[in-house]
Amino acid sequence: MPVEPLVDPVTLIQRIAAQNRDAFSQFYDRYSPIVYSLALRMLRAQSDAEDLLQEIFLQVWRQATVYSAERGSPEAWLINIARSRAIDKLRSIRRRERSFVLTDDPAAAESPDNVETSAGESESKLVMNSALANLPEAQRRVLELAYFDGLSQSEIAARLAEPLGTVKTRMRAGIQRLRGMLGTQAA
Amino acid sequence: MMSTEHAHWLERGDIYALGALDGVELKDFQAHLATECSICKAYIQETRETLNLLHRSLRPTTPSPEVKERVLEHIDGENGVSLTVAQPKKSRRWQRITGTIAAGIVGVMLAGAYYHFRYEPRHTVYSAVVNLLRDPSTRDLQLYGAGPTPAAKGRFLWNDSGEGHVFVTNLPPPPEGKMYAVWTIAQSSAPRYVGTIKPDVKGQGGLHINSTRSVLPMDTFAVTLENEDTTAAPAGPMVLVSKQS
Repeated sequence: MPVEPLVDPVTLIQRIAAQNRDAFSQFYDRYSPIVYSLALRMLRAQSDAEDLLQEIFLQVWRQATVYSAERGSPEAWLINIARSRAIDKLRSIRRRERSFVLTDDPAAAESPDNVETSAGESESKLVMNSALANLPEAQRRVLELAYFDGLSQSEIAARLAEPLGTVKTRMRAGIQRLRGMLGTQAA
Repeated sequence: MMSTEHAHWLERGDIYALGALDGVELKDFQAHLATECSICKAYIQETRETLNLLHRSLRPTTPSPEVKERVLEHIDGENGVSLTVAQPKKSRRWQRITGTIAAGIVGVMLAGAYYHFRYEPRHTVYSAVVNLLRDPSTRDLQLYGAGPTPAAKGRFLWNDSGEGHVFVTNLPPPPEGKMYAVWTIAQSSAPRYVGTIKPDVKGQGGLHINSTRSVLPMDTFAVTLENEDTTAAPAGPMVLVSKQS
């Protein structure tokens, strides 16, 4: 029996912009696992991650018309929305926590093991992890704190008790190294 | 080549794309972006595409089906009418694969071999597959659907003589301008490009590997959806991935 051709994600977004529910359903099926894993990694609580996932895809439905392929891939657009919203939530949570009591060092809870099941863990260490594994530990650390934990350069410097300049240098070096590994050298 | 006078902006662009720029530097950079600087905008977009791959270090996790139901209910509520009947719930990927992979293996192999008969000399592919199946040293790795193609499945067979063959099924033809690239991945080295799989309209395809020596050993075997001619390093989503049993 023939299988349905894989619809280009840009086409899916164009159909979503025209309020096509089936296209939205396909888009959700395709991308919700990666958005959900990111939300879980960043927020660490299943209920928060599910709420965020719902908000993100509602935003996709409402704002698909503003997507422009010239500004990046649909996946980049979606992940950008997800990270922005997750970071907003994280900062709100941190503000709330600070108003009550100082928490333990969040670094202690930063391992993905907290949100990933151990089964199939090796499976999760795939393409990008090969690249991450090849980054020096100091560079990988600052990139993860910024990307997954939503910390700013100053917050990372404070967290790691390192000079701000050192943190910035590590971030840039890490990004340049990733870019090189992925064959997307800067113009 | 980036202009020298722009270098300091691009340095900030990296950290801005990461979302970590703050304070005065953030305000300055936002003001610069407000001038519609095309160089910085393009640079930030490219950096985001690179950073975008960081989330792929995480194992995709299927959310509860109730979340999708809630989202669709919201959408229907906003539209004031239910546009289509509810989608049937999909069973979990692993349960589905576990239940069907055993029954599908023979069919997958034959289908993959048939596919190759159409494009390569029959006797060559046939002999290679038969040799692999007969060889007691042949190892067999299951491949599971991932990302945009959860229903895809496949197998990778290889022997000590250095021959290998990949069979896939339920892998939809790629969109225009895209291709399926096969990679072996080891923690100790960058991903190695193995070749390309072109599934037919039935979603069946294969790739014969005459020498696996340059792509083994590996920790993971993966197939990704890439822009055509991408062989330097994987950048697209995984569509099939191994899980050592």
